[in-house]
Amino acid sequence: MKNIRISIFVGLIFIAFGIAGCGSSPEVVDREASTSAIRAAQEVGAKDVPSAALYLQLAKEQLDKAEALAAKGEKKQAESMLLRAQADAELAIVLSHGDKDKTEATAALERVRKLRQNNK
Amino acid sequence: MKLIQYLIIVTFVGLIIGCSASAPPVELVNARQAYQQASSGQAAKLVPAELHKAQVALAEAEKAFQDDPDSYTTRDLAYIADRKAKIAEGLASSAAEKASTEKANKDFETTQAEIIKSGKEDLAASEKEALKKSEQLKAEQNARLAAEAALAKLEAKEEERGLVITLSGSVLFASNESTLLPAAQNKLNEVTDALLASKERRITIEGHTDSQGSSSHNMNLAQKRADAVRSYIISRGYPSNMIFAQGIGEGRPIADNNSAEGRANNRRVEIIIDRK
Repeated sequence: MKNIRISIFVGLIFIAFGIAGCGSSPEVVDREASTSAIRAAQEVGAKDVPSAALYLQLAKEQLDKAEALAAKGEKKQAESMLLRAQADAELAIVLSHGDKDKTEATAALERVRKLRQNNK
Repeated sequence: MKLIQYLIIVTFVGLIIGCSASAPPVELVNARQAYQQASSGQAAKLVPAELHKAQVALAEAEKAFQDDPDSYTTRDLAYIADRKAKIAEGLASSAAEKASTEKANKDFETTQAEIIKSGKEDLAASEKEALKKSEQLKAEQNARLAAEAALAKLEAKEEERGLVITLSGSVLFASNESTLLPAAQNKLNEVTDALLASKERRITIEGHTDSQGSSSHNMNLAQKRADAVRSYIISRGYPSNMIFAQGIGEGRPIADNNSAEGRANNRRVEIIIDRK
């Protein structure tokens, strides 16, 4: 019984050191990829396409979360969160382009339809 | 003591077993669903490389889930895999729309070319029509010119009352007669052919005599002679409503009735063609 108590106590001390050792000072993380993806999404007008706007918003929120994690010293988690932000921004770009491509396709089909109708 | 130790070991083992059979995080569920959707759509055909990236990302998330089911790593990798599957789907949709645009543009060009071609054929047809009309007009013009030339040959004189062709009475009629001589037909044919070229002109036939005999007799003879010429010209095809006969008699001499020559000249038929 006494041995078990000592074992648990030692274990807890190790865990405590471990937690303490996991960093409490702010970490520098590389935001470049995610911030430039967000910027690109903004430039293609993602905010004007509803489906794209959602992912752009998520990307920004995740960037903020990553910054907060980095400030707390959670480098790995912050980096993982940045990858989420980047993925969201990239999806926002794709959806923006998709919307434009759809508009162009619709216009092209309409142009043919009108030409045929006017020259029956 | 031994029992407590045993219980602790069992608890730990239970926890370990329990961990490996834990429910996947919602991010992984979503990622699996997104990949399923993307792979069953156009992505496999249109953007296979992007779909493969999504597959690799999902595999990474599944591995992380096996290794550490509740970690943020598992959730983040699953989240990213979900987005990659959606990216593949989005890119496939874009590719399909672009193909549709390209086809529509080609159809537009083809249709336009067909329209232009059929327009050209129509144009050719109407050009032919216009050419035909212009040739017709030319032919009519030529006929008129020929008629005018013929009239000129007949020594038609331009007077205020119109174009006047004077035919000698002795050429057309025997003395004191109003029946046309056979020989007169040649001369009259010449005149009639020229007149037929322009049927729209009003013609007046005037019969004139010399002063020998009574004026009523001369008037009567003149009228009959004018009628005879008129009838002949109508018989050759001139519209009857455009040709009139009038007997003038001795009332308008052009020469001195005291000489034989003068009297011969006065015995005449005048064909007056109205100015256009």
